[in-house]
Amino acid sequence: MAVDLRRHPVFPPSVPERAASYGQSILWGVMPDESELTAGVRIEPGQSYGFFTDTSLCIGCKACEVACKEWNNLPADEIGLTGQSYDNTGRLSCTTWRHVAFVEQRDRWLMMSDVCKHCANAACLEACPTGALFRTEFDTVVVQQDICNGCGYCVPACPFGVIETNHHDGKAHKCTLCYDRLKGGLEPACAKSCPTNSIQFGPVSDLLERAQARVREVPGAYLYGVPGGPGATGGIARLNAFFLLMDRPEVYGLPSEPTLPSRRVAPGLMAGLLSMAGLVLAAVAAFAGGKRR
Amino acid sequence: MTPGAAAPYGRRFGSYAGQSYYGRPAIKPSHYRWLIAGYLFVGGIAGASQILAAVADLFGYRGVTRAGRYLALAGALMSPVLLICDLHTPRRWYNMLRIIRPTSPMSIGSWVLTGFGTLSGLAALCQMLGARVMGRVFGLPAAAAGAVVSCYTGSLLSATSVPLWASAYRLLPPLFGTSAMSTAVAATSLAVEDEDAHLALERMALAAGAAELALMVATERRWREAAVDAPIRQKPRMAAAYRWGVLGLGVVVPLAIHAIHILTGRRSQPAANLANASALVGGLIQRAVLTFAGNSSAERPEDYFSFTQRAA
Repeated sequence: MAVDLRRHPVFPPSVPERAASYGQSILWGVMPDESELTAGVRIEPGQSYGFFTDTSLCIGCKACEVACKEWNNLPADEIGLTGQSYDNTGRLSCTTWRHVAFVEQRDRWLMMSDVCKHCANAACLEACPTGALFRTEFDTVVVQQDICNGCGYCVPACPFGVIETNHHDGKAHKCTLCYDRLKGGLEPACAKSCPTNSIQFGPVSDLLERAQARVREVPGAYLYGVPGGPGATGGIARLNAFFLLMDRPEVYGLPSEPTLPSRRVAPGLMAGLLSMAGLVLAAVAAFAGGKRR
Repeated sequence: MTPGAAAPYGRRFGSYAGQSYYGRPAIKPSHYRWLIAGYLFVGGIAGASQILAAVADLFGYRGVTRAGRYLALAGALMSPVLLICDLHTPRRWYNMLRIIRPTSPMSIGSWVLTGFGTLSGLAALCQMLGARVMGRVFGLPAAAAGAVVSCYTGSLLSATSVPLWASAYRLLPPLFGTSAMSTAVAATSLAVEDEDAHLALERMALAAGAAELALMVATERRWREAAVDAPIRQKPRMAAAYRWGVLGLGVVVPLAIHAIHILTGRRSQPAANLANASALVGGLIQRAVLTFAGNSSAERPEDYFSFTQRAA
């Protein structure tokens, strides 16, 4: 195809002369529905999307961490060595939305790329008093940065310790499941960059089928975050980002049977109001009980 | 299906034996410190003072009503300041009133506190103008809102994933409510001079203090059962603040003085003042200890993982 790129109105001046004569190799913009090429799915609003992270395939390369930081323009956390393992990232934070855990055991190495679980019933979203946290058209959970006022209530609410407030900009941050990329028909950055397909992106129903087939192939594996399984307990129902794990959840820093904090609101308030009613009766008795006059 | 693939994971891995990911925290602690502890204290006093004012109004204790309404207004004015100062982006405080989220005690609290503040302002205004009937018209709903303000803070803490707070979710709201009442009675007593009122308030202090003690004991037992009580036991300073501050100053000292006064029928005003001051200091220490101990609790993965062994 002979297109003279030098005549093109938006010809980038940085493109070298030689590259310009091979126009077919230059991307002029976002490929429509690029995810069809990279993940085999067309991204449509109204469907539930998520990740299936198959830890039996993870090689701990941390490409997902890097791709996430690059795409989302996230700064580095403190630079140093944990001295515990090859994991020097340590934890998910307001500026780290993928974290590769590394567990060195006697006869094997376990690696797991942790991420926001985008819970079907999300504790952070239920705790948010401003509505900054919302559920998107892709059934993911995202913080609207122009609304969050940094009250920080979502932080202790999250049963997985994912979301965190950033003291520099005063807002809460976490994985958005690449909301901007999904809108543009692109696969999330971490999944696209994963060289072993340990991180798989797609509609949750497809991923569940794939995961159920996979868990039968891997001895000793089980699924974390699928309906009825560990991680999806206590009202959380389902994790849209779920995992295939090889050891008990605590080894990866995950709770076995987390609960939805909002379940504790009504019984607690009822007990509190009952005690207040009791105190009112006590006050009536105290004030009515004989005035020495 | 291969055997093992479908086996429930509990049977596969056995019971939990303290495993964690290099002892790293599994959840993130809140950033709540003195501002929030102060709010838990001040908001509680405000809410419960309004209740005292309303009940006292029905029985003609004018001094208590006056002191209670002014205390409630003062607390209702201080609370939002403390809360807004604690936000990371305080200039967006008004987003708290952007939606109503019944699953979030923070949202419930924002709305109730707004209503409580407005009603308390109106009741205090009527008090100042000497409008008794209108004072009661605003004072009664203000007291109802005050009841929520006094105890919802317990739900605010327990509707999180923090083991120390979440494990005692049925006990913290009553505990905070009774503690709010004890501190409100103490503050009101220090503000009134009428002898009859002092007697009535001492009876109330005894009732609220006894209930608080019972709830404290129940809460401690709940923490022990859930194996999440390490933060208030292991750190020496926290343990001392809990034993001497929360239990000693907050409950035992005032309870003993009030009990002696009521049982002997003879009261000494300096001793009563000491009891009230002690209850106030102990109440503040209680809120601070619960706030800070909760944050240490969140940092202990073994506590969180014990708490999440069986979804209740």
